[in-house]
Amino acid sequence: MAEVSLSNVKKDFGAISIIKGIDLEIKDGEFCVFVGPSGCGKSTLLRMIAGLEDISQGALRIGGRDMTRVGPSDRGVAMVFQSYALYPHMTVGENIGFGLRMTGHDKAEIAKRTAAAAKMLQLEPLLARKPGQLSGGQRQRVAIGRAIVRNPEVFLFDEPLSNLDASLRVQMRGEISRLHQDLGATMIYVTHDQVEAMTMADKIVVLSAGRIEQVGSPLELYHRPKNLFVAGFIGSPKMNFIAVDARPHDGGIEVTLPGGAVLQLAGSLAAAAKMTLGLRPEHASATGAGDAVLPAKVHLAEHLGSETLFFVGLADGTEIAVKADGLAPERPGDSMQIGFPARACHLFNADGQAVLNGDLTR
Amino acid sequence: MPHDPQPARFWKRNQMKIAPYAFLAPGAVMFLIYVLIPIVQSIWISFQDWDGLGPKTWVGLANYVELMDDDTFYVALKNNLLWLGLYLLAIPMGLAAALFLNQNVWGIRLYKSLFFFPFVISQVVVGLMFTWFYAPDFGLFSQLIKWLTGSEVAILADERYVTYGIIAAGLWPQTAYCMILYLTGLNNLNFEQIEAARMDNARGWRLLRHVILPQLAPATFIAMVVTVIGALRSFDLVSIMTAGGPYGSSQVLSYFMYEQALSEYGYRMGYGAAIAVVLFLIMMVFITLFIMRMIAQERNR
Amino acid sequence: MFPTPIQKASAPARLAYQIALPIALVIWLFPLIGVAVTSLRPASDLAAGNYFGMPSSIAYENYASVFRDSPIGWYILNSFKVTIPTVIGAVGLSCLTGFALAVYGFRANLWVFFAFVAGNFIPFQILMVPVRELTLKAGLYDTTLGLVLFHVAFQTGFCTLFMRNFIKGLPFALIESARVEGVSEWQIFRHIVLPLMRPAIAALSVLVFTFVWNDYFWATVLVQGQHAMPVTAGLYALNGQWVAAWHLVSAGSIIAALPPVLMFFLMQRHFIAGLTLGATKG
Ligand SMILES: Nc1ncnc2c1ncn2[C@@H]1O[C@H](COP(=O)(O)OP(=O)(O)O)[C@@H](O)[C@H]1O
Ligand SMILES: [Mg+2]
Repeated sequence: MAEVSLSNVKKDFGAISIIKGIDLEIKDGEFCVFVGPSGCGKSTLLRMIAGLEDISQGALRIGGRDMTRVGPSDRGVAMVFQSYALYPHMTVGENIGFGLRMTGHDKAEIAKRTAAAAKMLQLEPLLARKPGQLSGGQRQRVAIGRAIVRNPEVFLFDEPLSNLDASLRVQMRGEISRLHQDLGATMIYVTHDQVEAMTMADKIVVLSAGRIEQVGSPLELYHRPKNLFVAGFIGSPKMNFIAVDARPHDGGIEVTLPGGAVLQLAGSLAAAAKMTLGLRPEHASATGAGDAVLPAKVHLAEHLGSETLFFVGLADGTEIAVKADGLAPERPGDSMQIGFPARACHLFNADGQAVLNGDLTR
Repeated sequence: MPHDPQPARFWKRNQMKIAPYAFLAPGAVMFLIYVLIPIVQSIWISFQDWDGLGPKTWVGLANYVELMDDDTFYVALKNNLLWLGLYLLAIPMGLAAALFLNQNVWGIRLYKSLFFFPFVISQVVVGLMFTWFYAPDFGLFSQLIKWLTGSEVAILADERYVTYGIIAAGLWPQTAYCMILYLTGLNNLNFEQIEAARMDNARGWRLLRHVILPQLAPATFIAMVVTVIGALRSFDLVSIMTAGGPYGSSQVLSYFMYEQALSEYGYRMGYGAAIAVVLFLIMMVFITLFIMRMIAQERNR
Repeated sequence: MFPTPIQKASAPARLAYQIALPIALVIWLFPLIGVAVTSLRPASDLAAGNYFGMPSSIAYENYASVFRDSPIGWYILNSFKVTIPTVIGAVGLSCLTGFALAVYGFRANLWVFFAFVAGNFIPFQILMVPVRELTLKAGLYDTTLGLVLFHVAFQTGFCTLFMRNFIKGLPFALIESARVEGVSEWQIFRHIVLPLMRPAIAALSVLVFTFVWNDYFWATVLVQGQHAMPVTAGLYALNGQWVAAWHLVSAGSIIAALPPVLMFFLMQRHFIAGLTLGATKG
């Protein structure tokens, strides 16, 4: 059993506070992804779990044991580095078996486990090669193999795919997910790429500036972002944000959109206020179907074949993105009618906290 | 897993704290005993009167006071400054040689190696070569001077020229050293920047001055360091070629110190140490400058 | 490429360059060539005043007589007895110190590092009296071991600078990855870092060999008699005996210069890599 639990974990580099108090429970066997913009402290947090950085404050438990002050080798974790960190002077086989050899395992055992890992990762034909003779994807697999042979209870990955090209990245994404299913181990995976997070995670932890913004399953974060940061970070293309006037009305909320159109939303509000309305491009209608319809002018059209992404200007100049059919005929300069479906709209108050989530799963 | 014996576990738990000092200790102890402590001891001895065998007598600043009145000290100091100034010529000369050799023609690698040759040879050998080169009657250089001016000069026996003659011998290997530094620098230039500058019509001297030299700054820095140190350390050539003569006119601090402390002029360890301290202080000015620059670089890493 | 490749220049310029190269080389190496020629000139030529003309015969016997009639062979042996243990000692110690300074962020780290660096630059004379005294007291005066110990300690400064920067250039993730795998610090040094330091070890070995072989100052300060004298100091002593016997002095010089020259030619790439450390980047 290897659940990972952090309570009020903090990290300072000198006078600068990088991790500002993290409370988090990761269940045994869960695939947990830390996601957030570059420099927000994801790697630092992962390295603290690995034992490569001291924990300035707070406590870390792995499998119920307090690991706050335990050295990296005694935590039962394995880590895959962004640069793979393969030992250049050793063959693939030696790389995979090195940790076992150094910790005094006998030869037969090392050979057996190396062979098993190589089989699982289709590395068998490459065992005698040096890392310099491998492609990026193969190196990645060797790095994973090195982690697997140790039968760790927790796998840690720090942006393992960011050095690969796009197609290989998609493939490796699948392989890591499959590995997770086969091994059933706890995995913690750091990435700045929200697509990776959405496709792989059981649980996503969105970090920003050393704090957790929200924890949840991919669909939870997509449908029920707690605040503007998460709403903007999860989903691609980004959610549209529109400044609106909101006031209580008829047991619900009435918002006034740019150009004067009004939209009736569910929920409740104490008093009128300036707010931000969020609507994902894929939920706005380019054909004018919706509870409020706004005239707009096409600024830019990106034709992706399967779909078209329009960037359109509203009456007050706000630009929003709208996903439309791949055959949509409008061109820059044309006028469009954009439909806003009320049940897909999110509303955020002046502090950026969600007042209303347009949760389509409800 | 077998049972972990207690000491192994202690080591395992604390190895991150102990390891740096364990790795550092052997080298640091040697360095401490043979380099750092002797510096302090030398400073201490410079306040003593001591012949190296008998008891030491504390004389306070007497050695330094005597030094201030010693004509040879001023000759040595003046010559050291001369060394410093002229030795720096090795840098432009080395750059010129590097620019001359930075071509891709057949056999150029061998040429570069052969040009570098003087640096590999011991200064003792260099000194003997130049002694032979300068020798009156049959030395090639003397013959050349005779042929040019009609009169003969014995460089190493002439108070007016002797220091210049030794410095010239020192410049030979030093130029080779600077050349190799610059050749390496030239090998690592940013070609895109040069191409861009050429598109902007910079060429020749102006290209060198505004685009190449700034890129060679690290090489120039190292060349400065090794040349300044080399100039102040000059000992071998003086010892081999003239032993400070004639009449002490080619004296430098390093040789003067050696002579006072260890040679037939008597074993005046305290006085010698005082000279060494003065040389050390002069060197310290440069060392401080170099280290400050290195610290700045470490910060930028 | 700067200067502009000569291949792009006009044909006469190319020819001029090809001619200028050997001429410049001969002028540059004139003292060396002169000594080399003299070393092969029979004594009778010098007596007859034939200093510059063609030697009347090639006198290999100059070399034979240097070896037969002087202890230069013994001096060379002493030089090896000083140089080789110094190379092993200084390079070995600096692998350890360089590793300590490159990998661990302990508090005194930068200070220790700068002490090593600064130690490189100091004038030998400030060490002379105490080191001579120390060597005398340890009973190592006039022995090759006395020289070895000092050279090891002093060269460790330079070598540490080199090694530390070299190890800093290795990817730190290699070390962290091993730590997570439960590899001990010593094993990390022994099995990961040391094998990757081979180029640095080669570069430093040739450099230290040359520096120590060519040392003259310490050879005169810590050694007095023939039996421990390295070839640099020995050559100086012989020069005093062979007054004006330039054919012998020249032959002796060439013999003394040969080992580092051979070393340089055999390990040229490493030699230059070591010497130009830091000349290209920060
Ligand atoms: N050893 C360190 N010393 C000082 N600051 C550091 C150190 N390591 C990381 N940081 C800082 O901590 C912040 C978070 O870094 P990191 O965890 O690598 O971010 P991420 O992986 O999310 O991109 C960055 O601003 C970085 O500059
Ligand atoms: Mg990171």
